[in-house]
Amino acid sequence: MSIGYILTESEYAQVQGQFYTEYQFFNCVADIDGVWFLFLSDEDKQVVATTEWAWVLDLPEAEYIPPPPPPFPPTE
Amino acid sequence: MFGVGVGVRVGGRTAVGGGGYDADAQAFFDRVTAAGGTLTTTEKNATNQLVLDMKSAGIWTPMKAIYPMVGASAAACAQNLKSSSFTGTFTSGWTFASTGVTPNGTSAFFDSNLSTNTLTNNSTHISYYSRTNNAGATMSELSGGNGSTLYLQMLVYRVAGNYNGDQYVTPTNRIDAAIANSQGFFVDSRTNSTTHKAWKSNSLIGTDTNAQLLNISSINFNMYAGARNNNGTADLFSNRQCAFASIGDGLTDTQASNFYTAVQTFQTTLSRNV
Repeated sequence: MSIGYILTESEYAQVQGQFYTEYQFFNCVADIDGVWFLFLSDEDKQVVATTEWAWVLDLPEAEYIPPPPPPFPPTE
Repeated sequence: MFGVGVGVRVGGRTAVGGGGYDADAQAFFDRVTAAGGTLTTTEKNATNQLVLDMKSAGIWTPMKAIYPMVGASAAACAQNLKSSSFTGTFTSGWTFASTGVTPNGTSAFFDSNLSTNTLTNNSTHISYYSRTNNAGATMSELSGGNGSTLYLQMLVYRVAGNYNGDQYVTPTNRIDAAIANSQGFFVDSRTNSTTHKAWKSNSLIGTDTNAQLLNISSINFNMYAGARNNNGTADLFSNRQCAFASIGDGLTDTQASNFYTAVQTFQTTLSRNV
């Protein structure tokens, strides 16, 4: 079971692709209902806590249910 | 630059700590330091020996990007050992350790910033050292592709217990080989339009001789580690720990074997070999 932070569309737009260190950036994923989730490792949390993005650590958390896997092999 | 250090016998050669490193190894160490990362003396000696072994075996030149995943930080692991080009970036969701880097299998990937359009058509290899033995959903370990016909990618252990390596027309030029588990050093190489091979820890696991008719350098997608780059969107997220990855020109049978020996020596020195 994966637990992640839930983001509104506005919050997603603020953080997606933003760098919180020189070599690390936020990547959010949508769950089966299209709700945006952000997953941070413990190391990420320690780093993010010292940045302007610390507010993401206060976002509500919930269980992530992934959407159906994409096709493989890819279809034309 | 030479200095006084403690010699460590590795792979039949002596790497010297505290200075006297190969110039390319030293340049990598300097990049790690400049990025804010740190390496232990053991990591430096192992990396230096890796460079020496690859050069001695003639497998340094074919490399475009080498990610030894040492230093237990994003800053260190993002650096390309081969050159100052193709410095990578990590998304959120990775764990960094002395044993390698581990994606979360949900949202994490590594962008090498090396695009398929910089590769040489009909001469390409990719490699991934997986320290994780697991099975589960379809996961991609290294990938770049256009979402339809053209991919350079490897999935070290699909749901059915198969290795999948695509170079380049999917699925015509796919190696689909039954393997026992997802641990080991996986190398997938194309050396001409009809020669495509894959190895798992120095054992040949599959050969594809179907003629490939498309040009991998005609598409422009960065190679991702830890997920599939599916036409610019990451999916098929992996949770297998990576202790080494590379992208470059195709490798012959002999080069692939020597590559395994060099990388396995490197991992053994770091006490993280599988």
